[in-house]
Amino acid sequence: MAERIKILSKDWDKPNSWSLETYLASGGYQSLPKALKMQPQAIVDEVVKSNLRGRGGAGFPTGMKWNFVRKETMTPKYLVINADEGEPATFKDRAILEWSPHMFIEGLIIGCFALDCHLTYVYCRGEFRDGPIARCQQAIDEARAKGYIGKNILGSGFDLDIHVVSGAGAYICGEETALLESLEGRKGYPRLKPPFPANAGGGLWKSPTAVNNVETLANMPAIIEKGGEWFSSVGCAKNGGTRLFAVSGHVKKPGVYEAPMGITFLDLLNDYCGGMREGSTLKAIIPGGSSAAVMTAEEAVWASDFDTLKAKKTMAGSGGVVYLDQNTNMAHALANVMRFYAHESCGQCTPCREGTGWLSKLLDKIVSGKGEKQDIDNVHQISRQMEQKTICALADGAAMPAKSFIEKFRADFDALVKG
Amino acid sequence: MIPLNTKPKGPVPSPFSAAQQATFDAGFTKAVAKYPPERSRAALLPALHLAQDLLGWLPEAAMAYVGSRLDIPPARVREVATFYTMYKLKPQGRHHIEVCNSVSCWAMGSEDLIKHCESKLGIHKGEITADGHFSLGEAACLAGCGYAPAVLINNYRYAEHMTAEKMDKLIEELKSAPGNKMADFPENKDTGRAH
Ligand SMILES: Cc1cc2nc3c(=O)[nH]c(=O)nc-3n(C[C@H](O)[C@H](O)[C@H](O)COP(=O)(O)O)c2cc1C
Ligand code: FES
Repeated sequence: MAERIKILSKDWDKPNSWSLETYLASGGYQSLPKALKMQPQAIVDEVVKSNLRGRGGAGFPTGMKWNFVRKETMTPKYLVINADEGEPATFKDRAILEWSPHMFIEGLIIGCFALDCHLTYVYCRGEFRDGPIARCQQAIDEARAKGYIGKNILGSGFDLDIHVVSGAGAYICGEETALLESLEGRKGYPRLKPPFPANAGGGLWKSPTAVNNVETLANMPAIIEKGGEWFSSVGCAKNGGTRLFAVSGHVKKPGVYEAPMGITFLDLLNDYCGGMREGSTLKAIIPGGSSAAVMTAEEAVWASDFDTLKAKKTMAGSGGVVYLDQNTNMAHALANVMRFYAHESCGQCTPCREGTGWLSKLLDKIVSGKGEKQDIDNVHQISRQMEQKTICALADGAAMPAKSFIEKFRADFDALVKG
Repeated sequence: MIPLNTKPKGPVPSPFSAAQQATFDAGFTKAVAKYPPERSRAALLPALHLAQDLLGWLPEAAMAYVGSRLDIPPARVREVATFYTMYKLKPQGRHHIEVCNSVSCWAMGSEDLIKHCESKLGIHKGEITADGHFSLGEAACLAGCGYAPAVLINNYRYAEHMTAEKMDKLIEELKSAPGNKMADFPENKDTGRAH
């Protein structure tokens, strides 16, 4: 096997990988002075060249998002970090915050400089308080003491304040406009778009705002150090860099693995996770968090980049990959997934509020053995009617598994119902 | 009783003891300082966290008081407090155990673990033990999926790679720890969430 390229996880094996000393010893905070001497637009140009795609779920080109914000004339501008990490099966931002918080912080400072942002918030899920948030706050305090955060950073004239704030338990607050609502002190109801957060009127306190995932920003030091072209060459077409895959389920070694964008699910399983655990054979794959359409074992040869999976009618999503074995009943699995969405729907839009509730009830009926064939068809039908009808994508994220579980694993459902 | 739908006219009494008040005030000042001065209402979520950390749960008196400090009417505070699952709208056990039951933990046996907790503690999900020491619930994905099943204790402490045996050990350990004292206030009348 070729040498593995590690960008984000390169320090994770080192003792106290989260400390400033470890990060400095491995070349950390070298990109920051370099970036501060560049024109902000030149940094964004480099990010465009890097083909970095947002790691939060949608895979939106980061350079393009940043250019939207730069084009706006309204000030102040904000960069807000999405560290809500609530998508079932996803646990990789937590790994960055716990094990390499300084890499993320250096990237965040560079990003703020590029966007002319002087005040930034890292919005973390509340449960992270004593672990990831504490680590991140410690890194911020250390960076501030070194003069990397604060007034006139490294003599550049650039001022920046970074604050960590915490949510209080709501999956919907990972959706970027719900996150902004929550950050402003309200319940997490997603906002109707346009205006988009990047535009005047749509962002934090109506200011132009880039909302980006933790992992997206953690790539900045490498992009500045080695250049956008280099970063782009690491991944595959239009998908630059590596990705942190958070692998769970019935594999030998679950965990967070860094692999080039576009690695196949089979290679990820066998080369990184040690294959399926003893006695398990692969039955199904959830490729990018529970909102992604499910894949069969035969489809494990698919590449994991955003564009391939979109063409295959599923999504690379959050990078949370679940490998499920032959003993998993997919109807029961879907019933479990749907209970999550019914619980987490914010209730603002009717198709989502009612739809996730109906789906969950029907699936619970099916797995309890009281269902009929018609119930399966109804689940499929209702999920199709929930697509693209709501303010945010939560409903689509519930519909995708519903449709695909039934289409690809119908036998598991049929075996549970009468008639 | 504090009316929910109007702004209170006079000062709203504090739900805290003198010592708690000092802790709250210090935390509150720090929380508000994170936002531009004209945006202090953004501190509502952190202020509710602070109040709950001191009282163990969020009685209406605490919601009204926090609102008064930020010039937010009680109904708005309640709207927020009822939206987020980490805010507890009625007293919990002094140790509140939540087992993640989202897809990765489910695949690794979370339902059996929940059943085990129920029989070990002699309560169902959503209940409190008779001595008030434990309560049990289900959590949505905790971002511990690779270390499944994952368990959350008292909102902030993670226990991962859980098994029935490890759960028994954890419960034994918590039995002798004091845990969170639940402040004595009238219970919120309607504790229903949207779902
Ligand atoms: C229901 C829902 C939940 C989401 N949860 C998260 C999350 O927990 N973390 C995250 O980074 N993005 C999440 N997203 C995606 C964000 O809306 C947004 O696309 C992302 O933060 C943008 O950052 P990026 O461009 O760097 O990926 C979610 C989206 C939806 C619709
Ligand atoms: S599914 Fe249990 S922690 Fe993610």
